[in-house]
Amino acid sequence: MTFVEYTWLIPLLPIIGLILAAAFGRKTPEDGGYFVIGSVALACAMSLLVAYEFFTGDGTPVYASQVWIDLGTINGVQYQFEIGYYVDYLTALLLIVVSILCTLIVIYSLGYMHEEGDRKRRYYVEIALFITGMLGMVVASNYLEAFIFWEMMGLCSYLLIGFWYYKPSAAKAAKKAFLTTRIGDISFMLGIIALFGSFGTLNYHQLFDPAFTESFDVNYWMLLFAMLCFFGAAVGKSAQFPLHDWLPDAMEGPTTVSALIHAATMVKAGVYLVARSFPLMVHTPEVMIVIAVIGGFTAFFAATQALNNFNIKRVLAYSTISQLGFMFLALGCGGYIIATAGADEHLLEVGNTGYMAAIFHLMNHAFFKALLFLSAGAVIHAVHTEDMRKMGGLSKKLKITSLVMLIGALAISGIPPFSGFWSKDLVLESTIAAAGVNPWFWILYIAGTVTAFLTAFYMFRLWFMTFKGEESEAAHHAHEAPASMWVPLVILAIAATITGLFLLMPDGGLPAVIYTVSPEGLAIPGETLGLGWIEKFFTAWPTYVSLAMAVFGIGVAYLAYYKKTLSMAFYTKGGNKRIYDVLQRRYYFPEFYDYVGEKGMYGLARLVDFIDRKVVDGVVNAIAAVAVGSSGRFRKAQTGMTQTYAAVVVAAVSVILVLLYIFAGVR
Amino acid sequence: MADYTAILPLIVLAAFGLLAPAVRILGKSDKATAIWALAGVLISGFFVADFFLSYPPGSSVGFEGVVELNYFSALFMLLFLSVAAYVIIASLRYVDKERHTGEYYALILLATTGMMIVASALDLITLFVGIELTSLSSYALVAFRKTSKRGSEAATKYFIIGALSSAIALFGISLLYGVTVQFPEVLVGSNPLTFENIGAAVSAAMGTPAEPIVFLAAVMLIAGFGFKIALVPFHMWAPDVYEGAPTTITAMLAAGSKKMGIIALFKVFLIGLIALKTDWELLIAVLAILTMTVGNIIAVSQTSLKRMLAYSSIAQAGYILIALPIAAVSDPAVAAYGLAGGFFHMITHAFMKGGAFLIVAGLSKVAVGENVADYKGLARRAPWIAFAMLIMLFSLAGIPPLAGFWSKYVLFSGAIDAWQLNDQNNWMFWLAIAGILNSALSLYYYARVVKNMYVEKGPQDRVRVPTAMAVAIGICFVAVIGIGLYPQPFIQACIDAAHAFLGI
Repeated sequence: MTFVEYTWLIPLLPIIGLILAAAFGRKTPEDGGYFVIGSVALACAMSLLVAYEFFTGDGTPVYASQVWIDLGTINGVQYQFEIGYYVDYLTALLLIVVSILCTLIVIYSLGYMHEEGDRKRRYYVEIALFITGMLGMVVASNYLEAFIFWEMMGLCSYLLIGFWYYKPSAAKAAKKAFLTTRIGDISFMLGIIALFGSFGTLNYHQLFDPAFTESFDVNYWMLLFAMLCFFGAAVGKSAQFPLHDWLPDAMEGPTTVSALIHAATMVKAGVYLVARSFPLMVHTPEVMIVIAVIGGFTAFFAATQALNNFNIKRVLAYSTISQLGFMFLALGCGGYIIATAGADEHLLEVGNTGYMAAIFHLMNHAFFKALLFLSAGAVIHAVHTEDMRKMGGLSKKLKITSLVMLIGALAISGIPPFSGFWSKDLVLESTIAAAGVNPWFWILYIAGTVTAFLTAFYMFRLWFMTFKGEESEAAHHAHEAPASMWVPLVILAIAATITGLFLLMPDGGLPAVIYTVSPEGLAIPGETLGLGWIEKFFTAWPTYVSLAMAVFGIGVAYLAYYKKTLSMAFYTKGGNKRIYDVLQRRYYFPEFYDYVGEKGMYGLARLVDFIDRKVVDGVVNAIAAVAVGSSGRFRKAQTGMTQTYAAVVVAAVSVILVLLYIFAGVR
Repeated sequence: MADYTAILPLIVLAAFGLLAPAVRILGKSDKATAIWALAGVLISGFFVADFFLSYPPGSSVGFEGVVELNYFSALFMLLFLSVAAYVIIASLRYVDKERHTGEYYALILLATTGMMIVASALDLITLFVGIELTSLSSYALVAFRKTSKRGSEAATKYFIIGALSSAIALFGISLLYGVTVQFPEVLVGSNPLTFENIGAAVSAAMGTPAEPIVFLAAVMLIAGFGFKIALVPFHMWAPDVYEGAPTTITAMLAAGSKKMGIIALFKVFLIGLIALKTDWELLIAVLAILTMTVGNIIAVSQTSLKRMLAYSSIAQAGYILIALPIAAVSDPAVAAYGLAGGFFHMITHAFMKGGAFLIVAGLSKVAVGENVADYKGLARRAPWIAFAMLIMLFSLAGIPPLAGFWSKYVLFSGAIDAWQLNDQNNWMFWLAIAGILNSALSLYYYARVVKNMYVEKGPQDRVRVPTAMAVAIGICFVAVIGIGLYPQPFIQACIDAAHAFLGI
């Protein structure tokens, strides 16, 4: 073990790029972009070396940390905060995915942001800070350290969504994203404090060690509360129902930001947090049910909103929310099985399949969604609009883009051999396994299968509307993107084709992740299966159900948006229009948020302010008026606020005194 | 020879304060006066630091046993002196066109002396004298701009409500005196109003007919000191006064004078009235939650940045007060940890809120308004000042790894620890919940300012804050970031101070 010992270097490397770009950005080409690319590429190389070393090792987690803050001993527990790194299967896999995607997207930015002028330096600095946050959160050795990097990402996300600050919609979207995800962040902090109160430590290597946690007599409800809080944090960051509405609006940022932060990396942080906390969460089946239900519902709910949206990036944003829902669904189902399995080794292995499915889907989704977003970016770059009705017939002009986007669409729809097929099937398989324990989970299976149909439909609707049909006016002037843009696209397309096949590698391959600290404790599902997975998949009926759903979805989209033999007008007129409108209006969630935010929050604030200043005044004045019995006195009192304040002080003393005598029980 | 360690810092500061007007007249220079005042703060600070850094810290009693310099009082003297230092540095340019600057600096030093007396007081009368010294000085400071209608009006309000509150507090003190002298057998020494004696007498009074009197006194003291802290429902003067006062003085009121009130409350309740704790702990908890919630909710609808920060100060006092019921639990380690959380939040709040007010002061000097809307596009007009404001506001909201995050963390985890002690403190869990939910609420209005500075489009011309004020802002900025990155020694100092405070 040599490289792993330098894991701490990975998040620090982009900082160097940040400093160089901030200091010398003005004087170098692309305003410092090359510094950031260089440092991120170095971090990527380092990540790959660490991951390679870990995967070829024996699978025991590697960690090291320094004491940062020592609060002394309280109740016999040494209260310490540490700073360090922790590498296990999950970390290693995430390092590969995140660092490769960051590198590719920063390279793509060279072409995409080329025309931005002076603002480029700000862009590169913020992107570098974001990458530090993401890599730092992945390698962190304890929850507190993870939280610090988590907040760093939130800040960068906020700044980058508002990058085009002169657009009012961008400013509004940035604020919405910040405030909505902050609800999750507060929940995270609450969870950290509750966990710290229970165990006196936040270090992963202690918390995930059953011998350590079992030595504590922990209040079950406290643990449940902490775990729910962690999931609440994930709901905010990963845009799950009911905190999902910021993500479509976040598309106001540059497309590279959407691809990197709002599809491939930051929104995965919530999934990562739940997966990271799995060793603790499996003790609380209630939390697992909540995760599965929220995940399954969000998958379906978000997919419906993608059906009739005309903005190419927003369709992809809803699709991201929906796919993140799939990941939570798998985590919840797998965790539920493990939580109820007891010592049954077979069930434990089945449960771990759910965990593996979620992480596998996370990896595949990161690649194909980045591909879809960057392809959409290439289209927007060519036609300067995000409205799909103004596109059409672009496949002749944008040959590479249309081809790679087709690969992305096939991958997300779940057509073999592209990556989405393998992981989505594993996710649905885990819901069936959970239904074996508790029949209610069949509902989630059905929701997932219907979502598979919806996904195939809206993705091919997008593809046909953009690339096929009548050549639109915008298409006349369109031209293929520069090499710095299409080369990353091709690499991502290759990744979207092959990452699913990693499952078939003889030793279980990259997706074979387990959540416990001891590799002996739990069998890796299908570790010895190798190519046997193919047989396992194609001899099971659910595979054919979801394949049929995908093909059916593509077929409907083909007939409706390519052949135009199937008219969608039925849904846009008469009584049926109501459903269409509800979807277009995003189930009225923006209005709901505005109502809560503007009316509710500001209204409450004004009301309390009013009571504080006017009503209390009025009451005091009224009492004065009644007491003195003269309206002249009343008017006079109203001009002097000071008397009122004094009266309030005296009144408050009396009220407190009376209340205390009543409640505190003075004899 | 008598030991002057305990009173030397007070004497030095008072002497420099009294001589400041003379320096102004003889030196004929505002700058010289400010430097004189700063020198007084530094020399006084040197004596305190000399004591503070000699480990293990002992204790020194002065003035016939009415003030004590120990680890706790030294820590807070240093805090008050730091506040005075940055206020004086900022004032160097903020009041340079005014008359009577000699008196201005003299009053700042005397107000600080009063705060230091409160930190070191051993009996209730000394404590009261310290509070009055600070109050009278600050009434005059709020009214410093005699031609400003807003300022004069604010000072009048402040004075009248302040006098009323002092009378109420004094009434409480006299009631306590009446109780203590009834139990001469438990008193030590000739002074019946030392906190030790009050504590002994109050526990002797439990169950006797004197108990309701103690009770009445406790409510009077909450009301009297609650005024200084701007505790809801004794808070109504605060926004008007914070808005009307010269902004440097607002910084001092929020960072110094408010902390003094909290210390007074801690001393009286944790040492004097601890025997009565089952009666007051829930009341204080309710007032704390009420204070933070009302402060945060009203802050949301404010358009004036100064008023918004004033309401935010009210809310922050609510967070700090959480420490009072926690520190009353029976387990000494948990009590000290909880109290340390309160101390630590007082320290971090002094820098982040003081810094925020100084930024408002500095920008108003270069014709940027005091409304939230005036900060549009500030990130391009004054990038460093905008960044400093961002750091202060995020620290106030408790975003890691800034100073405010750590102090809230220690405070709220102290509540969780106290909750876990036994089932008696079930409600302490809700203190942490209320604190965290309020932090979420507060972000709502902080984010509005950040959005105005960074995302909205505003005027294009650059603005430059005067150097002296930028230095003062820089001190707060470095403190907030420095405590954030390396909080260990500060937390440790607060825990040690809590041990000294509780005498364990």
